[in-house]
Amino acid sequence: MSGAVTVGVIANPASGRDIRRLVSGASVFDNGEKGNMVYRLMVGLAAVGVEHVLMMPAASGLYDSLERTLRAAAPAIAAEHRPMPDLELIEMKVRHNARDTIYAISEMEHRGVAAILVLGGDGTSRIVARHCARDIPLCTLSTGTNNAFPEMREATVAGIATGLVATGRIGDEALRREKILRVGLNGDAHHDCALVDVAMNSERFVGARALWRPREISEIVVSSARPDAVGLSSIAGLLDPTSRDAPHGLHIRLAPPEDAEIVLTVPLAPGLVVPIGVNEVNRIEPGASVELTAGVGSVALDGEREIEISAADEVEVRLDLAGPLTIDVSAAMREAARRGLLNGSL
Amino acid sequence: MTEVAGAKELSKEELLDAYRTMRTIRDFEERLHEEFATGEIPGFVHLYAGEEAIAAGFMAHLDEDDYIASTHRGHGHAIAKGCDPKAMMFEIYGKQDGLCHGKGGSMHIADLDKGMLGANGIVGGGPPLVCGVGLSARTRGTNQVAVSFTGDGGANQGTVFESLNLASAWDLPCIFVIENNGYAEATAQAFSSKGIDIAKRADGFSMPGVVVDGHDFFAVYEAAGEAIRRAREGGGPSMIECKVNRYFGHFEGDAQTYRAANEVEEVRKEKDCLMLFRRRVTSAGLVKESELDQIDEEVKNYIDECVREAKAAPEPTPEHLVTDVYASY
Repeated sequence: MSGAVTVGVIANPASGRDIRRLVSGASVFDNGEKGNMVYRLMVGLAAVGVEHVLMMPAASGLYDSLERTLRAAAPAIAAEHRPMPDLELIEMKVRHNARDTIYAISEMEHRGVAAILVLGGDGTSRIVARHCARDIPLCTLSTGTNNAFPEMREATVAGIATGLVATGRIGDEALRREKILRVGLNGDAHHDCALVDVAMNSERFVGARALWRPREISEIVVSSARPDAVGLSSIAGLLDPTSRDAPHGLHIRLAPPEDAEIVLTVPLAPGLVVPIGVNEVNRIEPGASVELTAGVGSVALDGEREIEISAADEVEVRLDLAGPLTIDVSAAMREAARRGLLNGSL
Repeated sequence: MTEVAGAKELSKEELLDAYRTMRTIRDFEERLHEEFATGEIPGFVHLYAGEEAIAAGFMAHLDEDDYIASTHRGHGHAIAKGCDPKAMMFEIYGKQDGLCHGKGGSMHIADLDKGMLGANGIVGGGPPLVCGVGLSARTRGTNQVAVSFTGDGGANQGTVFESLNLASAWDLPCIFVIENNGYAEATAQAFSSKGIDIAKRADGFSMPGVVVDGHDFFAVYEAAGEAIRRAREGGGPSMIECKVNRYFGHFEGDAQTYRAANEVEEVRKEKDCLMLFRRRVTSAGLVKESELDQIDEEVKNYIDECVREAKAAPEPTPEHLVTDVYASY
């Protein structure tokens, strides 16, 4: 395998199946399609010279769908001499939880992957960002609902862009150092993290995880905010649009609409547009720590309740500009066009 | 936003009730595990220990006149739906004063007065039953709902697919719960199905499918509340898959050679629903340890009493053979 460029693939078969399907008509994303996405990524990677793909084992029909598509395509690929990377599954015990992803990342680092493609929602991206070495470029593709961080992209193109970075033909022009929110708990400054938003809320239990009841949310901190986003960060996006490149974040205190200074109409989740009251908006600078007003409730990270807390707990959030390194697919393809990297046949 | 059923904060009394239900099921099953080994109990028993949060989380939203259809692993569903544990214990011992006069045993416990349509020896047998009562409720214009429980093995039965289709086509107020404990008898799920997430099959029947952690009472309670509310309000059927582990074998006496040596031990240590519930409600300051300890003590004594009385109770006599043969409506 020496000399061959290897790209890692983490495709979370469990994303896209939470309570929002029940309460807000959220979309479904089946694992057959996720398997097909991995196939299309491989086609894109192969087109620019990636010879090896190292993938986390993915159950729930995802790998089966990929394998069937590969098998069905194999004769034509061979006859037409089209490139296709070798596919290797990491040998590991599969537990069907986040520990799988953490183990797979460490194995990918150990094997020296040149980039990692991540298929999942905000939760999957967050776990990868938290556990992955800082300098491995990530390409995060959305396969869930309500995602603020991973992008909805055609996998073939994402595969080409990632391949161009992995093979060294495109570098800094297409790489972006993302912001990350470090979440401290009772003095442990690195207790957890979020890529886009942290929300203090009065839901006492982690329960079904997704945070979908607006009345429960009292305070949010965001690293970036787009007015055209769906989810918690869209509250911030409607108040003070903050790009992924902006060197600051926002801290917002919410209030019941009837008591609030400002009331916004917010698409809080797919299929859920609600009034949200806002009392205070402040920019936060990198390194500065924001102490959240703790009460009995929980802290949601990127839209999912993760940490159950009581009034005695101290929760602080710090904006860190040195988050994960990601591949900007649009920038990579623009650069490929400018330099003619895809001119000529495969 | 209007307050919805699943959203309501549980009162202290409701939390204590949920804990009592889970503790009663656990002690009932742990005790049967011991007693079955003595050879005194006729027939087969399939124990629900480890899965208590599912029964407690769903049944906390159901009224007495809502329906459930259970499985061969039915003790937990029956207890949570309000069946009398003592009458159940009598039934399992085959005694005349059992819930079904000792004629049903573990696998056929039913109590129509409580909306419990029965444990069921037919794998995948519950979903068609809830379609029936769901249609009945809809036809009569009540707001009753019907909940079926099925295992990951049962989920592959044709009856389940037919029921999903029927419930969807007719917008029946049915909730199909899949208790995915990873094994259909001794067959690991990955050997019998391409998909680990059974809830995804709901997509094909145009109904919502949600996955929750079946060890977490609060996760089950929240999802169950929303699915049940949806069904009551005319939103039609849903499927909720609860990922869970069973503590004992498929049936009592199962050597479980298909499981890793420390598998159950790990689950008991990390995911025990009673332990998780206790830790969370006490650290949230909602309930005191001593209040839960008291429930533990009361339940332990009660289960002792159930077993003691069941053992001493009279058997059905030969003339009972010809009673209860036909049902009248």
